[in-house]
Amino acid sequence: MQYALLIYENEAVYGPDKQGPAMTAIRAKHMAFIEELGAKRVAGAGLKNTSAATTVRSTAGKKAVHDGPWAETKEQLGGFYVVEAADLDAAIALAKRVPLQPDGAIEIRPLLRQGPG
Amino acid sequence: MTLDLTFREASARVIGALASRFRSLDIAEDAFAEACARAAKAWPRDGAPRDGPAWLYRTAFRAALDHIRRTKTAERLAPEPPSVEPNAEDLMIDDARQIPDERLRLIFVCCHPAVAPEARAALTLKLVCGLSTREIARAFLTPEPTLGQRIVRAKRKIAEAGVPFEIPGPEAWPERLDAVLSTLEIAYSKAHEDAALAGPYAGFAEEMLTVTRVLAELAPLEPEVHALAAIVRYGEARRPARLDEGGAMTPLSEQDPCRWNRTLIEEAEACLLRAADLNPAGPRALQGAIQSAWCARRSLADPAPWSIVLALYEALLTLRDDPVVRLNRAVALAEVLGPQAALTEIEALDARALGEFPPYHAVRADLLRRLGSVEEARAAYLRVLALDPAPAERLWLQRQVRRLAPST
Repeated sequence: MQYALLIYENEAVYGPDKQGPAMTAIRAKHMAFIEELGAKRVAGAGLKNTSAATTVRSTAGKKAVHDGPWAETKEQLGGFYVVEAADLDAAIALAKRVPLQPDGAIEIRPLLRQGPG
Repeated sequence: MTLDLTFREASARVIGALASRFRSLDIAEDAFAEACARAAKAWPRDGAPRDGPAWLYRTAFRAALDHIRRTKTAERLAPEPPSVEPNAEDLMIDDARQIPDERLRLIFVCCHPAVAPEARAALTLKLVCGLSTREIARAFLTPEPTLGQRIVRAKRKIAEAGVPFEIPGPEAWPERLDAVLSTLEIAYSKAHEDAALAGPYAGFAEEMLTVTRVLAELAPLEPEVHALAAIVRYGEARRPARLDEGGAMTPLSEQDPCRWNRTLIEEAEACLLRAADLNPAGPRALQGAIQSAWCARRSLADPAPWSIVLALYEALLTLRDDPVVRLNRAVALAEVLGPQAALTEIEALDARALGEFPPYHAVRADLLRRLGSVEEARAAYLRVLALDPAPAERLWLQRQVRRLAPST
């Protein structure tokens, strides 16, 4: 099965444009993790801060553009992986290995349409 | 044996084996229900088979295959089901012992952390103990449609999230086993709360004896599994003494040990001994040791083991510092150091978190009564009564209120 691993952390840790020392440190860990994932990694990316986010909001069918993320939260979506895993337990095991700050969360979501695995 | 009983006893074995084979709880459950329906027609007509569970497994297996073929034809785009061609062994078995024993997998699936905690116990009781949705709904004091929905959602989550039909690997085992044991504890507390075992819980406690025995057989090296089996047996052993002639509950320290079931106590001791051999300091082993201290009493003339109980709660507190443990420890403290020391402890607990927990008010009421604070004691007893306790508890509480000195 394919799962998205969504990384939620307090982005402030990484500095205003994600160029602080914490980012350098975690980038190296992500590189190592990608190496470790090998063919199990289907896709993935890191995201710029929510200060760079723009939201198109549809209200009763009417579209409006807003600055900022879709919601203000304590932890923000900062990146994601799409991985190939045999089942939820395998996905959980991978999620536990995703580099993460001491406080943060990885949400595991099965993909709606499973790609060729 | 009645048909229903045969079905119930076979249910975990058959559903577990089918679910592991077809990787779907729904297919397994539907196929088992179909097999039971066919049995209900065929057995009275043709005579019961030599081996009921084996017959049910064979029939359910075929029903599952038929179902998969039908859906395959109906939805060409549906994902390929796993290879399910029956092998000779599957169709020839005439002996329930040859049904692959996948009950442990089934328990781990039902108690997976991805399943909402309130649904885990319900799902386990349904699939592992074979209780009906109605029986579980009554035990959990939840309307049947709500409970049914909860079970449906849990099964959908298991299917959609890809919860595996596997026993977890060693690295996940402690965390996962604890989820299983906590689920069973919740299930058992439902049965234990009601001393009279009057209506909704009848048969329920019996199931817990079975499921803990099965789990202990399947995971013989896990101390906490044996400890839980012991706790359930101690609890059930004391059941005959938990009601007085008037139908009111009898507090543990006033129960006549002569009325306890010695056979069950011996079984419990054996379970606890195995647990203690493996790890005497686990939280459930300590709880078992507390039960064991009580059950060592042979008559009401033997002194109550309060100081041992207090020491064991102290030890338990270092592992599980929660308000319920603190409350139980305070009860022992009252007997060893006096009610004032215990009340001081209790007043330090979070009254808001425990506001809906009847024992909190009951213990408080008792301490206040012993300290002569009649009106405060009365108010606390009335708080418990307002929380709608089981009938035997209600009778006892009403008696306690009547015994208080009249208000001036």
